[in-house]
Amino acid sequence: MELLPQALMDGILLGGIYITIAIAFSLTYGVMHIIDFAVGEWIMFGAFAGYYLNKVTGLDPFLLLPVVFIMFALVGYLIQPVIHRVLSGNKGNPLLMGLVFTFGLAIMFQGIALTVFGFYSNSTPSVFSEGSFFIEKFGLSLTISSIRLAGLVYALAITAALHYLLKKTNFGLGVRALALNRESAGLMGVNGKQTASLVYGLYVGVSAMTGVLIGCILSVSAQMGTEYTIFAFFVVVLAGMGYLAGVPWAALLLGMVQSIFLIYFNPGHTLLAVFAILYIILLISPRGLFGRGV
Amino acid sequence: MKKRLLCTLALVTSLLVATTLYAADEAVFKVGVVTELSGSLATGGNVTKRGYDLWAQEVNAKGGIDIKGKKYLVKLYYADAQSNPASGAAAAERLITQEKVDFILGPYSSGVTIAVAPVVEKYKIPMITGSAESPLIWSNKFLYTFGTVPPINFTGATPIKTLSELNPAPKTAVILGSNDTFSKASAEAFKTAAEAAKIKVLKFNIVPAGQDLTPLLSAVRGLKPDLIAFGGHDEELIKLVKSLRQIDYTPKALLMHYGVTEPAFVEALGKDANQVFGASVWTNTAKTKSAILWPTAASYDAASMKAFNTPADYTQAGSSAAGIAFQVALQKIGATPGMSEAKRTELIKALEQVNIDTFYGKVKFATSGEYYHANVGMTPLTVQIQNGKTVIVGPKNIQEVPAQYPLTPWKNR
Repeated sequence: MELLPQALMDGILLGGIYITIAIAFSLTYGVMHIIDFAVGEWIMFGAFAGYYLNKVTGLDPFLLLPVVFIMFALVGYLIQPVIHRVLSGNKGNPLLMGLVFTFGLAIMFQGIALTVFGFYSNSTPSVFSEGSFFIEKFGLSLTISSIRLAGLVYALAITAALHYLLKKTNFGLGVRALALNRESAGLMGVNGKQTASLVYGLYVGVSAMTGVLIGCILSVSAQMGTEYTIFAFFVVVLAGMGYLAGVPWAALLLGMVQSIFLIYFNPGHTLLAVFAILYIILLISPRGLFGRGV
Repeated sequence: MKKRLLCTLALVTSLLVATTLYAADEAVFKVGVVTELSGSLATGGNVTKRGYDLWAQEVNAKGGIDIKGKKYLVKLYYADAQSNPASGAAAAERLITQEKVDFILGPYSSGVTIAVAPVVEKYKIPMITGSAESPLIWSNKFLYTFGTVPPINFTGATPIKTLSELNPAPKTAVILGSNDTFSKASAEAFKTAAEAAKIKVLKFNIVPAGQDLTPLLSAVRGLKPDLIAFGGHDEELIKLVKSLRQIDYTPKALLMHYGVTEPAFVEALGKDANQVFGASVWTNTAKTKSAILWPTAASYDAASMKAFNTPADYTQAGSSAAGIAFQVALQKIGATPGMSEAKRTELIKALEQVNIDTFYGKVKFATSGEYYHANVGMTPLTVQIQNGKTVIVGPKNIQEVPAQYPLTPWKNR
């Protein structure tokens, strides 16, 4: 039992990483109904952007986050009309077409990354990477890594910022209206195309910033994207598709399950346990943990 | 009439060109290469590609393989296994049935090699893998599959033995292995060797491939092991070192395999890569001498620097040595491109008799026992990263420098 506080803390810190991976992914599904299989690849490109910008400028990756956000938000904003065209076609099943299209994008992005960045794994250094806090009280010991704590703070900040944007601004009102009913929102003066482009830009920008963070905590490689796509998908399905408020809780639950299973049970079966839990929760509540998903 | 004449002329010309090309192709050894060019194991796969490419470039630069006074060029036909055994098997089948390759240079990973081996067995096409290290490949006794890197149960005991001779020797160990064929075999080899060296194994776990192991390492921290040994691949190794640094636990010794010898390991981790131990069979400082292609390990490394601007590690060297083994066996039986089934069987016999000194070391395939068709001519080495360079620290008789032990705490680096 002496390991329990550490297990819980590690679970929370791991959950912080999962929040950053899934929050914008959930937003873009909620508004645009895109299940973007390229989410991991945006994270990967962001990780490389952080790695190279750090190499060139020597600035800490955390200081580079706004630069990476702007760069990628612009890319997302410009790409969105292409996705919109696929999704709004009158032939076939647009949702399925969107899935296939983003899956294709993911494969293409992986190939581009392998060709451009090479096949080696890298790591982005940060001033937070080297430190940790050690707490020893009441017979319990707890180690908190500075970089993971910074990651959790970043995750909570992004969640709060998105919450504010959606609930307290006119833009957010437009986004929510669009998510509820595209046609009615249009009749009320919401520019659907532009709002969707802005949301997709926001999503790509946030995902890229997450990549920078992951590059500092874990590693950077052209092959890294698939793993994060799976986790983003897991968290969003568990939270309820498109239900943004559920994402932090689902992410923390995933982090906790992984942490506790790695410590107390057979580590080799961690992913099996994680997906078994997802399966059981979806059997009981098909619309996610809170029954609020689409 | 004129139009018909022109058409006939065009047809005859294209037939002539096709025949010439076909004839030209006949004078070339078609070499299939199945390896992981994409997916999670792309790093190792591309390292093998460098080794195969360098061999083909060097052979062709010398005019080709000399068979009874006539030289034959080699042409590599790549097929991407996508880090997936099933894709690897399909890729091998395509190379054999459609490209009609003469022989195959095999995958980086053991998992893909085990999937490809039955395919080459079915079509009776010889294959040498320049990388795969799992004992499972050799215990299956595939007739058509060979390997230049010795299996991990042949090499894995050496670093543990080196560590057990240090002062004070590690008394306890935690051994982890990623959940894939090679990594599991590495972890098991470390465990067997640790138990034989009277090092108490406090924890032995096979962990999910590619995952963040920080929570598990937090638990390991509580056990305070002297040695942490990990079987995994390049990116997993980098993540593990970063996790240990993040939880601020420095064991007395950290042993990892495979990836320590890759230049990217040092580049990604910087000073944190220093003092990490690894297993190997070759370094660019190895005292080898050869009359075939490259005379020494240093000259091979220089060729690698020239071609790829990267120093070579043992996987790349083993891959080039796989090409050399084929080259020597082909010369011995006087095989020419487009070999018949009988000739390919003869090639297997010739490979079994290969006993050559190369820049990589001795290549000699076992013909019986648990290492059947694996290279047993090499001496296993314990390597350590010191000041960003891979150096040999064991066995004692070939040690270049003493091991740096125990590890300098992360905070003091």
